[in-house]
Formats: sequence, structure tokens, C-alpha cells
Amino acid sequence: MVATRSIAPPPDASRARHPDATGVIERDGVRIAWDRYGPAEPEDGRRTILLTPTWSIIHSRFWKAQIPYLARHYRVLTWDGRGNGRSDRPEDAAAYDDRQFVDDAMAVLDANATSSAVVVGLSMGAHWTLLLAADHAERVDGAVFIGMSLPLLAKAGSPRVTAEFFEERDTYEGWDRYNANAWRRDYDGFLDFFFAQCFTEPHSTKPIEDCVRWAHETDPETLIRTDLASGIDDRPTVDALAARVRCPVLVIHGTQDAVVGFRHGARFAELLGARLLAIEGGGHIPLARDPVAVNLALRSFVDSLPVRRP
Amino acid sequence: MAATRHDRARLPDRDGWATDHDGVRVHWEVYGEAWSPTIVLLPSAPIVHSRQWKGQVPYLARHARVVTFDGRGNGRSDRPTRVAAYEQARIVGDVRRVLDATGTERAVLVGLCGDGVWPAIQLAASEPDRVLGIVAFAVGVPLLSPPHPWRIAHSFEEELPRYDGWATINRHAWRRDYEGFARFFFGAINTEPHSTKVVEDVVAWACEGSVDAMLADAEVDLGLAREDVEAIVRSVRCPMLLVHGTEDHCQPPSRAHRLAALTGAQLVVVEGADHMIPARHPILANLLIRDFVRSLEAAER
Repeated sequence: MVATRSIAPPPDASRARHPDATGVIERDGVRIAWDRYGPAEPEDGRRTILLTPTWSIIHSRFWKAQIPYLARHYRVLTWDGRGNGRSDRPEDAAAYDDRQFVDDAMAVLDANATSSAVVVGLSMGAHWTLLLAADHAERVDGAVFIGMSLPLLAKAGSPRVTAEFFEERDTYEGWDRYNANAWRRDYDGFLDFFFAQCFTEPHSTKPIEDCVRWAHETDPETLIRTDLASGIDDRPTVDALAARVRCPVLVIHGTQDAVVGFRHGARFAELLGARLLAIEGGGHIPLARDPVAVNLALRSFVDSLPVRRP
Repeated sequence: MAATRHDRARLPDRDGWATDHDGVRVHWEVYGEAWSPTIVLLPSAPIVHSRQWKGQVPYLARHARVVTFDGRGNGRSDRPTRVAAYEQARIVGDVRRVLDATGTERAVLVGLCGDGVWPAIQLAASEPDRVLGIVAFAVGVPLLSPPHPWRIAHSFEEELPRYDGWATINRHAWRRDYEGFARFFFGAINTEPHSTKVVEDVVAWACEGSVDAMLADAEVDLGLAREDVEAIVRSVRCPMLLVHGTEDHCQPPSRAHRLAALTGAQLVVVEGADHMIPARHPILANLLIRDFVRSLEAAER
């Protein structure tokens, strides 16, 4: 008698940790899906971490390497940014303004009886993290900016002029692919280029594959709307907001970030008087490629925060 | 502040050398000295060395005493170049000498492919008191079933018009471009997506070895017929767990099925997995080893 068993990955094996609750908030007819890891009510001595979305090209699963770890120590809230995942894809650009994401953040906190949280943002998420920290200080215990994409210095990458974004060309190569027509014509070509820029580290095939899959859950028209939305568009706005930030801040930036250069992150940390964690050799999304370093940095930052006075 | 990258999640508690009567030294390491039982992770040598188990050591050493060693011909061990130095008795002798040198009376032996599995089985057959059980990944017992056709499609000895693909398993190709062989070979037996790091690691370990050692090892005559091999595996009395991928491009799954049929060992078939399951599926491999070791302990109680 031969005992043979066959092992194949179970269909639901893609998550190390499932949410304890999941829900939907609705603002102006736009439904936003959130997940909570941890109890319904905040508990004494256990911080809540709000992991914000980023550009709607991907959705909240990009935090997959943080959630299982952070949820062992804290309450964790995530939501799919409007335009991807289980959230709606509104059809007017104004629905993607920075302020809308900020109001979504506060609605997610409210829906989970959370008065304040440590807010963590990646890339575009830095816009909403900064706005929350500057203008809703009572709700932010601390702020973390990873690969932040705020307009601080002249950017090599994406064009900020609308005309350029809609420029018709015969072919699009390199950063010229950051163009509405290029997205409509060859979305996959853009995704391959863009995520290769996001992950400059060797052995990144899996995070690239993940991101491309998540990007297929939305579409070029939605992303074009996100690009036309308004928000923090210039350096003076960043300076004014930064001047109002009072909470502790941690800035994490990859030294090989090919989307937003490391010097941008370093300058931002300087501006805020914040601690800067340089991920040596890290790209734009170090939380996926160096999850242990990022997770430990998040934990030591959260545990260092002063007890909040009521 | 900068994040530093650490090469090893776990450092050995102690290390040393085991030496045979010809003075060939084999380097061993012990992790988790206080635990029991002992698990010996055999090297797939001389092509690679003990770092092949880097995905296992830190986990297993939290549950058991773990011994690794570099097989002769690679890693920190000596690289003799005489064919006789790689005869099966010497290779099995190294396992025994490492057990002696580390003060290990009995152990669970874990191996991958022919260079890891076959010595474990031979030691269990000849010295059953020293082997509590065997976990065999990518079951490499010679002659149990025909090799994959691509493994024998080209001559190893003769000069070939071109050396590409499987034709790089050739003594002249090794002399000319050993790294080229290693890149091809480890790419061809790690075909699952997202294996770039596994391939890069294993190519680097191969390049730390010695072409002369590989050639000497390749010349060793097994000196056994299929009946002899079957008689040896049938004589094994300790429990065995066999783990084999359905897409193993190095060792045909039929060898695992045949070994299971001959011994009654439990066989775990991993759907879609290629050859290096402990490297590419470390969590699966670690839990299988842990559960197997626990089942032995439960049986002893």
C-alpha cells in the first residue's frame, strides 16, 4: 500500500491574513471598499495603522507584505482607492481630486470608530498622507511617507503639462509612454515599462506580475481621469502643508528609486525635519521588495510615538 | 540610518571539520545545539554546497538540532581531484564522519536529488542504528527508472560540434565554460516563474566548486545493477518521506513512485513544482520536514 498525497496550492492561499471585517462607505454616490484587521473598536495601547491607497493603477493588495506582520501588533485599516479594486470607478476627473481621497480616508476611520491613526502612504499616497497630517492633525498620530511622489523638485519622469499628456505621437518610448494616447493604444506596453521602473531591484518578477494584474482591474480611461484630477500640484503648496505638520514623521525612500529619485525623499525629510530611512539599492516600492526592512521600520516608528493626550 | 542586508538569517552555533583517512576535510556546522532530534541536511555535492539549505536552516533550527556540511569538492571542504575520492563509500563515509564529529548518535537525514538522497539511503541501509528517518526531495536514486531522455541525449565524453542546452553536460563544455553550463542547467531545472534568485544563488555556489572535482565525481562507476539498487532500498527499515514535483526536469517523478512502491514510503507529489523544492517552496518543504520529524517523535513515545 503506497500512501501518496498530492499537494497543490489551495485556491484561497494567496492571503496570509484575512480581514476581520470588510465594508463599504459611500460618499456622493461613490462606494469605497475597506478592510479591517483587528477589533471593531480601538483598544488601549494598540495603535491603528491606516495604510492609504496609492495611484489607482493598483489597489490595496500592494500592502500584502505589511498587513500580516502589522496586524499582529496593531489594528490595520486599508481601502481600495477610487478607481481600482472593489471600489467604484467614477467617471468624472474631479472625483479623483486629492481632497476626495482625504475625505475617503476620514470616512474609513469614521466607519471603524477610529479617532486617530498612524497614516502610511506610498508614492501618490503621500499626497493624502500630507493633507491629513497638515489639515486634520487630530486624526494623525504619525505619518510615514514611502517613495513619496510630491512635487518637490523638477521631475524627470511624468509630464505635468496636460498638453504633453495628450500629445499624439507615432511611437512612445520610455517615459513618453506616460501619455493618454499611449495608454489607450498599448496599455500593457505602458504597464511593462512603468512597473519595470518601479522595481529596479533584481528578482522582482513576482511584484511586477502582481502589479500588472492589479493594473488590469482598472483601465486607461480611469487612469486618465486620475491624472486630470487636481490636488497638490506645486512646490509652494507642499511647503505650506509641510509647515503645518506637527506629528512625528518617517520618510522611507529607495536609493535606486527610478520613478521619484532618492534626493526627492531626502529633501522632503529635511523639509519636515523627519527621520529618513534609505533603503540601499531599493526602488520605488521598497515595501514589496524589502518588506522586512520596511515592516521593522514601521514598527519601531509606531512604538516610538508619544502617548496621545486626549 | 540605512538598512543593512544580512546574508544569513541564522549563524551556526559551532563548526568544524571531519577528516577521512586520506586527510580530506569536510566542513560542518551545527545550529540549535540544545534541541533534539538532529536533522542532517545533506549537500548535493560537489555541484553545490550547504547553502542550498538556506531556506530551511533558520526555521528548522528553532525546532530541532540542525547539522549541515559542505560535501567534498565544494564550499569550505577540500576539493580532491582523484576519482577514488568520490566513490560512494567515501561520500557515505563523510556523512558518518560528520555524525561522529558533531557528537550525533542518530539523525533524520534530509537530501535533494541523487547526491543527497542516495548517500542517505545507503547509510540507512548499512547502519540502520544511526538513521531515524529520511526525507528525500527530488528523489534521486539511480537506475530505479530511466532518466529523462534529454539527460542522455548527448555524449558526456565526446567532443561535440556545439555546446548548448543539455549538450553542456559534457566534460569539454565544463572545461571551456563551466558557468555557462551552470546557467543553462539550473535554469532548465528551475522552470517555475519567479525563480531568478534561486538560479542566481545556485549558479554562484556551483562556481565556488571545482571543475576537476566535478569531472572526478562524474567518472565514478556506480558498480551496481538495478536489482542491487532495489535490494539496498528494500533493506531500509526507517520511515521515509518522499517529495517530488510533477515538473521535475532533473529527476523523473517515476523514480519517486518506484521508490515508494518498493519501500512503502509516503510520497508527496507537488503539483507544478520543478526540481529544487526546498529552495523554491521553502515553507512547504519546512513544514513537511517538521511534520515528518514530529511523526517520528510521536511514534517513539
